[in-house]
Amino acid sequence: MKEGGASSRKRFALSCVLCVLLASTALYAEFDAGFYAPERGGSIRQTLPPAAGSGASYEVGAYPLYPANLAPGDGQSEVASYCNTCHSPRYITMQPVLPAAVWTAEVNKMVKSYGASIPEDATQKIIRYLQSHYTPETRKK
Amino acid sequence: MTNPDRALSRRRFLKTLGAGSSAMGLAGIWGSPDAMPQEPAALRSVPDFTGPSANPYWNSVGPIITEPQKAPLILMADRPVQLETPRHYFLSAFTPNEAFYVRWHLQTLPNSVDLKEWCLHVEGNVGNPLTLNLPDLLERFKAVSIAAVNQCSGNSRSRLQPRVPGAQWGNGAMGNALWTGVKLREILDAAKLKSGSLQVQFEGLDRGKGPEGYGSNRFMKSLDLNDPVLEECIVAHSMNGEPLPMLNGFPVRLVVPGNFATYWVKCLSWIRILDKPDDNFWMKTAYRVPDTPGGSTTPEEVNAGRIKTIPIAKMPVRSFLISPDGSGKIPAGLPLQLRGIAFSGHGRVKKVEVSADEGANWLDAHLGEDLGPYSFRTWELPWTPKRPGKYELAVRATDEKGHAQPDQAIWNPGGYLWNRIERQKITIGSAA
Repeated sequence: MKEGGASSRKRFALSCVLCVLLASTALYAEFDAGFYAPERGGSIRQTLPPAAGSGASYEVGAYPLYPANLAPGDGQSEVASYCNTCHSPRYITMQPVLPAAVWTAEVNKMVKSYGASIPEDATQKIIRYLQSHYTPETRKK
Repeated sequence: MTNPDRALSRRRFLKTLGAGSSAMGLAGIWGSPDAMPQEPAALRSVPDFTGPSANPYWNSVGPIITEPQKAPLILMADRPVQLETPRHYFLSAFTPNEAFYVRWHLQTLPNSVDLKEWCLHVEGNVGNPLTLNLPDLLERFKAVSIAAVNQCSGNSRSRLQPRVPGAQWGNGAMGNALWTGVKLREILDAAKLKSGSLQVQFEGLDRGKGPEGYGSNRFMKSLDLNDPVLEECIVAHSMNGEPLPMLNGFPVRLVVPGNFATYWVKCLSWIRILDKPDDNFWMKTAYRVPDTPGGSTTPEEVNAGRIKTIPIAKMPVRSFLISPDGSGKIPAGLPLQLRGIAFSGHGRVKKVEVSADEGANWLDAHLGEDLGPYSFRTWELPWTPKRPGKYELAVRATDEKGHAQPDQAIWNPGGYLWNRIERQKITIGSAA
């Protein structure tokens, strides 16, 4: 009798453990099926709505900067100091891969058509940098 | 950060448990390779760049970001700001202000305008120079409204082959709004143009860091005074019944119905009457297209210096399939509505046709409400794909002047005027 009671308690405990295990597995599987991975979904934080002042001045917040990752390499600092005068490096990273000759023409256009004052040696360095990292053969990311 | 490897093995474990048979026993936990699930789509992103082939996506590939007064949009550049509107916003005829694309040329943009100080100057070859503040524009002139599409000259630039440098827009550098404001003609009349006047020049509040006399310093656009579009132009103080977002040109911007957006000067603050043609960079050098049919040429012709160019002006006819967008598989036999928009800078869209069989047969779509000759016109077409398989839907529009979209790619060095027939791959799956 005593032995029988012990074994039925054992069976009861075992089935309890099994039930809990099954239920939590089902719950976990349900959760996992949706595969929630917010950190990887490209989430962005909400911006704070600006406080509207009174009077006739209409303001919005500063336009945020979204820094681009320029490929590290010789000439990067020239790009950062000269190209950055008129536009952010996103102008470079948003381009498709372009042939070396197109990059030469682009930099020359900045100097000749847009009047960018870049010393000749820096101009050549910038061209070499873009050709070393942003052509179909050289662009990695 | 979720570790994908761990996530995958967890999923595999659960899958095996789900198969569930105790008969499989513990050995099943290490499952067969075919139990390996695909990496969930949410973990994958489009590439950071495209090329040398054409961008295969409807939109451009930039990240989604936020800017003041804007819904999350696709970033082309943060300085000067260039933002693209995601595809789904084009299901409606009007594009919400907060989703309207943004394109500036010079990096110093206003993020604050004091209406106590601000005014619109009308000057140059006029008998009666004007300085108009916002109450003047609201009270001294009659308000008129027009629905008009604003499309960047370089919209869809990422389609060109070979690729050309510039903002690598997908199709989302466009939007349609109900613009309300003052007729430009009334302002010009009030300023009393003197004889010998040739062009009218427009300039806004944006300024660049480049040297004086260069396009990197100031942005100005001009229209010929005998251009019929002048009769349609308005100086808009409202966009879809609201003030313009700062990034779209608060407090007023020029609306040039039918013309590409390069003329729609934002934060418009100077109107100048010129007695000789405007030779500033943005007229003489930039925003010019080959004077050829469809504005198309070849790199060889350009390199040989054989191409005569003219300032870009009217938008050619275009149409787009917005839904379904190809992002999901659709069961065979399920009735669908194909939906999209069409427009032309030359006037009303008269016809939109869809082909599901590589152009062998074209079906007429039902056109939505006619909101005016320069507006987006919505279209829809019921379609029930009968058999599973890969389909390619093509859509083409024809405007009231008889212009139909071509099926040939065009090319020009600026990456302008793209209006080739759009195509969308759709996968139809088995329904059972």
